[in-house]
Amino acid sequence: MTRDLQPTLIIGAAALAAFGVSLVNFAAQETVNAQVGLTFGTVLFAFGGVFVATRRFAPEAVPHLLPPIAVIAGFGFVEIFRLNPYRAGLQRWWLLIGAGLATVVLAWISRNGLAALRRYRNIQLLAAIGLLVLPMLPSDGPLPIRGLEVNGSRLWIEIDLYIVQLNFQPGEVAKLLFVIFLASYLADRQPALTGAHRRIGRLTLPEPRQLGPLLLVWLGSLGILVSQRDLGASLLLFLVFVSMLYVATGEGGYLVGGGVLIAIGGVASWQVFDHVQRRVSAWLDPFAAFEDAGYQVAQGIFGMGTGSLSGSGPGLGQPELIPNAITDFVFAAVGEEFGFAGTVAVLGCYALAIATGFGIALRSRDRFNKLLAFGLTFVFALQTFLIIGGVLRVVPLTGIALPFMSYGGSALVGNFMLIALLLAVSHEEASR
Amino acid sequence: MNGPIRRMASLLFLGFGVLLGALTWFQVLGADGYRSDPRNVRTAINISGKERGLIVTGDGTVLARSNPDPADPQAYLREYPEGPMFAHVVGYTSRLVGDSGLESAYRDELRSRRDLTISDVIAALFGRDLRPENVLVTIDADLQRAAAEALEGNRGAVVALDPSTGAVLAYVSSPSFDPNAFLGAPAVTNRQAVLDDPAEPIRDRAGTELFPPGSTFKTVVAAAAVESGIAGPETAFDDPVVYELPGSTATIGNADGGPCGDGVSVTLQTAFVRSCNTVFAGLSVRIGAGAIGQTATSFGFDRAIEFPWALAESRFPQSELADDPAALAQSGIGERDVRVTPLQMAMVAAAAANEGEVLQPYIVSQVFDADGNAREVSEPRVIGRAMSPATAVVLTQMMERVVTSGTAQQASITGVRVAGKTGTALPEPGQPDVWFIGFAPVDAPQIAIAVLLEDGGPLGESGTGGSVAAPIAGTLMERYLIRGDSG
Repeated sequence: MTRDLQPTLIIGAAALAAFGVSLVNFAAQETVNAQVGLTFGTVLFAFGGVFVATRRFAPEAVPHLLPPIAVIAGFGFVEIFRLNPYRAGLQRWWLLIGAGLATVVLAWISRNGLAALRRYRNIQLLAAIGLLVLPMLPSDGPLPIRGLEVNGSRLWIEIDLYIVQLNFQPGEVAKLLFVIFLASYLADRQPALTGAHRRIGRLTLPEPRQLGPLLLVWLGSLGILVSQRDLGASLLLFLVFVSMLYVATGEGGYLVGGGVLIAIGGVASWQVFDHVQRRVSAWLDPFAAFEDAGYQVAQGIFGMGTGSLSGSGPGLGQPELIPNAITDFVFAAVGEEFGFAGTVAVLGCYALAIATGFGIALRSRDRFNKLLAFGLTFVFALQTFLIIGGVLRVVPLTGIALPFMSYGGSALVGNFMLIALLLAVSHEEASR
Repeated sequence: MNGPIRRMASLLFLGFGVLLGALTWFQVLGADGYRSDPRNVRTAINISGKERGLIVTGDGTVLARSNPDPADPQAYLREYPEGPMFAHVVGYTSRLVGDSGLESAYRDELRSRRDLTISDVIAALFGRDLRPENVLVTIDADLQRAAAEALEGNRGAVVALDPSTGAVLAYVSSPSFDPNAFLGAPAVTNRQAVLDDPAEPIRDRAGTELFPPGSTFKTVVAAAAVESGIAGPETAFDDPVVYELPGSTATIGNADGGPCGDGVSVTLQTAFVRSCNTVFAGLSVRIGAGAIGQTATSFGFDRAIEFPWALAESRFPQSELADDPAALAQSGIGERDVRVTPLQMAMVAAAAANEGEVLQPYIVSQVFDADGNAREVSEPRVIGRAMSPATAVVLTQMMERVVTSGTAQQASITGVRVAGKTGTALPEPGQPDVWFIGFAPVDAPQIAIAVLLEDGGPLGESGTGGSVAAPIAGTLMERYLIRGDSG
């Protein structure tokens, strides 16, 4: 693919989304309405805008990243529009805001260089922790920022700007700050972390002293699970940490240790928390718990099975039977209406984007850039795997947004910034 | 660091491979199973607006059809023109409350195949007709209507069979409900109203509910007695006023409280014709639970009878009764532990009419495509022999005497020889289940019938099989036979 193909592909993705919206219109026995043009314009403006920004601020960036993401966003948007036109209207604004912030990130890095991110390491960590605990603010406090509990998880804040109320998931941005912090911390500390080992038989273990940070982050993840009842964020945080530690040091022992800690944390939380038990039993046999915890997963599977090879066609299935079909279960909704053809296309686009991300990491020579690119790609890939895997019963269901597909502004903004950072890394490494 | 990155990337793509495998299962290999899962209402929703095949009777009466929806040119609305009359046979298909009856059992044949599931697309490639198929039922619309009218206002059932084929001629459960009310938006409320109705119209009393058969079960006991050689029609029995249950001080008496005959001795034939409990209680103990059970099983008891929907299994618990002669004596007169469906008792009468052979009952005579070509045709099938032809002759003679000079005289038809047996079971005091089973004409049987009314029908606690069920059966059989002769 040459650089010149990118605009064509982005226009194609916008046309695809617009075509999907027009099919939804027809399915509802309406004639094509303005939504088709709005959709085309939004996708084109958002991704075309980021593309123009890369031309200006990161001309050497890889060309394979934006087009598959634009296609994914288009698929997701059609399904959101089909299920909830009002929310689709909001999603449209979030697409534009996310693209705008991506442009800001690209411009800032182009001026200051990626290394500038390393300067504020400790502030980033504090900010990440601060953002993570923000939803714990009282929900009826006098402050203009209040914590919100949604579906039993405390992940949201409500920002009261007097004119308008904004709901936001600060965790989506905290993830990025955490990855940037880890990349810069691990890039500096690598010798210390790889230095001494202890050997027990064939197994090489790090010094107990070095396991300190591992345990600390493990406890932090469990803290999130306990305080916010969010299995997904907790698992994501810990896995990103362990894998970045492994990549930075090459010590397989961290993976083993991380695995053991996940097992301990998993069993312990399964014993302590009802909501974890419900999730696990719904995972093992959603059809046995059909009337209860398994309903959502079972409905998702029924939807995808009914969609079969070619799907019902947009607007012609019953994805509204699946609870949370526009957020956690948007993939199942796509499966029902676009069929196996649609889900494989989506999965292929994710694979392309993720492979591109890993490629950026592999080609990077700077330690920080390498770790950053890996961490960002890993976060993106792991979220995708955990939520699609949850829908497909490969892993227990965790409430994670499917990047660029699920309805939700915070996730969209966070992921746009993630992509901008990846583009910036690829540009800087290529133009070295 | 590239080694670990490669390994982590491989691990993730391995995970994506697993996702692709799971997708292949859910959307391709296992898709049809998930699509047709009864809890997956999508199929019902998809079917609801689509064209479905006809359900019709042999005389062209339409029981179910799809009409174009005036509000939506692409959609169809289901209609059941006969309403409650055929509700327990045709059932309903509703996107909100599921499906039942033939609509459920023949859902694959009745649905339009123009909905692009994999198997349908492949079938279309091989030139298969995608239009819905239609179902022709064996029910005689006129007899069904007459039976429904005869039961009007009462709880009960009528099942009529063609004894030479096993074809179901009438299958009525009363009271009934209007399946049209289960279509469209008010389905849930309407169905709840039907479920809340104290008369329980949703219950299929003809085939899926069990009742004590009362004295109609004496046909089974008599068949077992003759078949095993223990007694013939002229075999004499003691004729006490009451029968003392073995190992107990409790007694069984006859319906009128007196002896069966002269108080000294009585033949099997007379005891059958007058439906004497004292004789049949003792006879049952003499024959034994094993032999009665064997005969009952060959009639169809205690096994699943194939049918478009799951029938209740009629039961004669022979292993329990083998050790309990008192219970066996009570069960031998159709009380206590014996339970039957009206369909099963119609099969008993049909077997007597059919020289002892038990035929598979069937209610769909054929499935035919949109061009009228038969796709599946039901053939009569023997599923057992309840007694030898000689025993059947003896049993028929005794049953004919029941109608000519016994308890079922009100079932007689002028100019037609009718065989039958009445029954009055008392599971609860004052609420008799009254029965008639029989067939006609005796010399060339064309119809076998079972009539049941709960709570004594219109006569209440004074109702008996002879006074309530027998006249209904006589009227229905006469109507069927006369029309058969003229048409």
